[in-house]
Amino acid sequence: MRWRYVLHVIGALVACVGLTMALPLAWGLYYGDGTAAPLGMSMAITVFVGGTAFLIFRHSSHKTSIMTHREGMAIVALGWFAAGAFGGLPFYLGGIFESVVDCVFESLSGFSTTGSSVLADIESVPRGLLFWRSLTHWLGGMGIIVLSLAILPFLGVGGMQLYRAEVPGPAPDKLKPRIKDTAMTLWKVYVLFSALETVLLMFGGMDFFDALCHTFGTMATGGFSTKNASVAGFDSAYIDYVITIFMLIAGVNFSLHYLMLKWKPSAMLKDPEFRVFMCMVLVFIVILTTAVLISGNYDNPADAVRYTSFQVASILTTTGFATADYELWPGLAQAILLLCMFVGGCAGSTGGGMKVMRIMLLFKQSYQELFRLIHPRSVSHVKMGHTVVKDDVIRGVWGFAFLWVGLLILAAFVVAATGVDVVTSLAASLACIGNIGPGIGGVGPTDNFAWMPDAAKWVLTFCMVLGRLEIYTVIILFVPEFWRK
Amino acid sequence: MRVIIIGAGEVGYHLAQRLAVENKEVVVVDTSDEALRKVAESSDVQTIKGSGSSPRILAEAGVAEADIFLAVTDSDEINIISCYYASMLSQGVTKLARIRSEMYTDYGHLLTERGANITKIINPDEEVVNSVLRLMSVPGAVEINEFAGGKIRLIGINLPDHSPIMGSQLIHLRDKIGDDLRLVIAAIVRNDQLIIPGGLDVLKPGDLVYFVCDIRDQDEIMARLGVADDPVRKVLIIGGGNIGFRLAKALDNKYYHTRLLENQQKRCEYLSEHLDRPIVLMGDSTDQEILREENIQDMDMVIAVTGDEETNILSCLLAKSLGARRTVTRVNNFGYMPLIEPIGIDYVVCPRLSAINSLLHYIRRGKIISSVSIKGEEAEALEAVALEDSPIVGKAVRDLGFPRGSLVLCFQRGDEVVIPRGDSVVQPNDRLIIISTRQNIPKVERVLTTKVEFF
Repeated sequence: MRWRYVLHVIGALVACVGLTMALPLAWGLYYGDGTAAPLGMSMAITVFVGGTAFLIFRHSSHKTSIMTHREGMAIVALGWFAAGAFGGLPFYLGGIFESVVDCVFESLSGFSTTGSSVLADIESVPRGLLFWRSLTHWLGGMGIIVLSLAILPFLGVGGMQLYRAEVPGPAPDKLKPRIKDTAMTLWKVYVLFSALETVLLMFGGMDFFDALCHTFGTMATGGFSTKNASVAGFDSAYIDYVITIFMLIAGVNFSLHYLMLKWKPSAMLKDPEFRVFMCMVLVFIVILTTAVLISGNYDNPADAVRYTSFQVASILTTTGFATADYELWPGLAQAILLLCMFVGGCAGSTGGGMKVMRIMLLFKQSYQELFRLIHPRSVSHVKMGHTVVKDDVIRGVWGFAFLWVGLLILAAFVVAATGVDVVTSLAASLACIGNIGPGIGGVGPTDNFAWMPDAAKWVLTFCMVLGRLEIYTVIILFVPEFWRK
Repeated sequence: MRVIIIGAGEVGYHLAQRLAVENKEVVVVDTSDEALRKVAESSDVQTIKGSGSSPRILAEAGVAEADIFLAVTDSDEINIISCYYASMLSQGVTKLARIRSEMYTDYGHLLTERGANITKIINPDEEVVNSVLRLMSVPGAVEINEFAGGKIRLIGINLPDHSPIMGSQLIHLRDKIGDDLRLVIAAIVRNDQLIIPGGLDVLKPGDLVYFVCDIRDQDEIMARLGVADDPVRKVLIIGGGNIGFRLAKALDNKYYHTRLLENQQKRCEYLSEHLDRPIVLMGDSTDQEILREENIQDMDMVIAVTGDEETNILSCLLAKSLGARRTVTRVNNFGYMPLIEPIGIDYVVCPRLSAINSLLHYIRRGKIISSVSIKGEEAEALEAVALEDSPIVGKAVRDLGFPRGSLVLCFQRGDEVVIPRGDSVVQPNDRLIIISTRQNIPKVERVLTTKVEFF
């Protein structure tokens, strides 16, 4: 492991994050809401520190050498924490939070597209900072590394290592022969959908600022809103449905969107993961609608469909926007939403959770085991569609599932140890490791995380990055073997 | 008419024999003295020793004057190359090649369009698969052949003792099974003898009966004859080679429960990767334990299609003794054919026989457009179109001058299947289906076409 090299690349990443602060800075200057100073200062500090690290640790041998797998993972994991730390600067300098942990929590909740907030009164925060808060979602959604790959030429050589570390899904698709072009393509699709949603939201009566911030929250499956009441604050069926649809779009593999835009709709319609995802969405909406109508939460079926479909899309894609307090819904409805929290979006989407693809593989592999008990001499393979899934991928998925659940429980223990009740600590850990945002109990859709003890916030912050980088990339830093020369 | 046959293997041997009997000028080319001696002993043909892929040998065989060129060696590559040279040495010759590997047949148009310019690729494996699928589609049938693009079928059944037509004369057939269904008894195999029946012949127990009918009536006729059987759904295929794989692929749907048994690990992996629903099993087909484990007694059909015919026969017998309902065996060697029925195997498929049938199909001159062998090779069913200027148009069936041992089974007129009587008149564009014993085929061909064209 070449530390100089790792720090050199992380320096570049941090500087990149610093440069993106120019966007909220522009808003701050435009509104004159007093955020220009803290944003400008944060930007200067971030770019300076990042740039200095980049220059100090530069070495002529870096240009030609090939990045190792380990270096790639170290860069991505540490780079994310560094981005989160510097991303919290504007909140600190802007005086939004007193404590460092709140700033880092809010910033990493943004980058990791979790959307859990420690802000009690969102509407009192000046717009420049709210814009930064939403922008962190958008940057983190498609991935700050993927963005860097697309725009930083010097990362070309080790690009695949970094890409794998940030987009580790069970089957990373390379859309183009070169990783740089793949990253660029993904970002183009992302930008295109974002522009579309912004326009559609503005038709629904949002101003440009709100439309943009909610687009960032939707396309990244983040969940930060500019209203205390989240999307419910707009109380418009049109806006609800637009956001519902775009949340679902963001929960689908972006490679499929790319193929769709190239007029290959069959790729999407025949994709087994997409089909299962859409089936789940429809079935859950039907069950939830029936449940809330029977229990009398809504009198009007149209309202029931509007609120349940929004909640299903929001939780399943791990966005975390809210238009209704589902804690008032019947137990079955809540149980299904809890199930959605585990599942998450499709592989290759901006959603979190365990991913539909992994759940499918776990089911198929389990069925395979049963099948082998019935037909002991059979030779069979786990397949997605007509493609055979290799054994090492299946092993990876089992390992992932165990670590995901294991770390979730471990985090819940630690949070509970700080004095939080059991249900809330489990829900909060799930909400953070799954990058969802709201949970149930003390962190339900109408609550926030501000009241939690600092120690719990640190643990949950860590969980968010763990979930966003899909466990392995982060947890590997804690394996002694990783550091052995 | 000069026919050149490349390859004196099982297929070449039988083709040469069949064509020589039909008074054709046959030249056989092969590299093996032994094979050539065998052909020369049994039929009146010329033999040339050498490789079919050698242009010198082809010229020697007289490819320039040949009408038909048959490349039927066991090697796809030699067949393709010899067709290439044949098309260069002679423009007009009709080239038929036996090509089995999917890597060539998937791009068959490249061989038929340019370069080799092969008139027709014969793929016996595919035909075997199709014939097994046909057998599965008509439970109870022993043999099924198709005419008129699949609209008319020639179906062979073992007539059950309780059948309503048992013991009756064929002229009373309609009274027994109803006037609304059209069928003609084409042939009867009794005590290993083939009979082309007349109206006074009587059906006896143990008869294997061939009848012709419209495909739409097929199920109803089977039911009224008392041979209806449960449909085939649970299938065990033994041998995951080319044929086994194609068959499993054809049965890869919700309707069938297919198991595919193969004894090589690597091939099993391949099969499992390329098949979705069929269960791929690794093991030996003669291992009772695995057969029991997979509930062999519940199988509707066991199909043994490994490359080794002894294994096929033995595993079918084992499966049958363990309770499988029906068995299909692939046999290559014609010598085993008479054995199959007495030892209790239900059906036989033979890629080489399929190849011979398809090749003969294309060799027929005049307007005979398809032909099928019955009972090995003793009789053939022919399909012919009566063109407007044909001498048979306007004549009544009894005046056609067909020899004894041949019979007009039916006409297809538009969408309608007409079962003719003696005074039925042939109209232009009728499709005639005719059955004839082998010796009479040249006479039948002569009736259907003009003499000048034929000899």
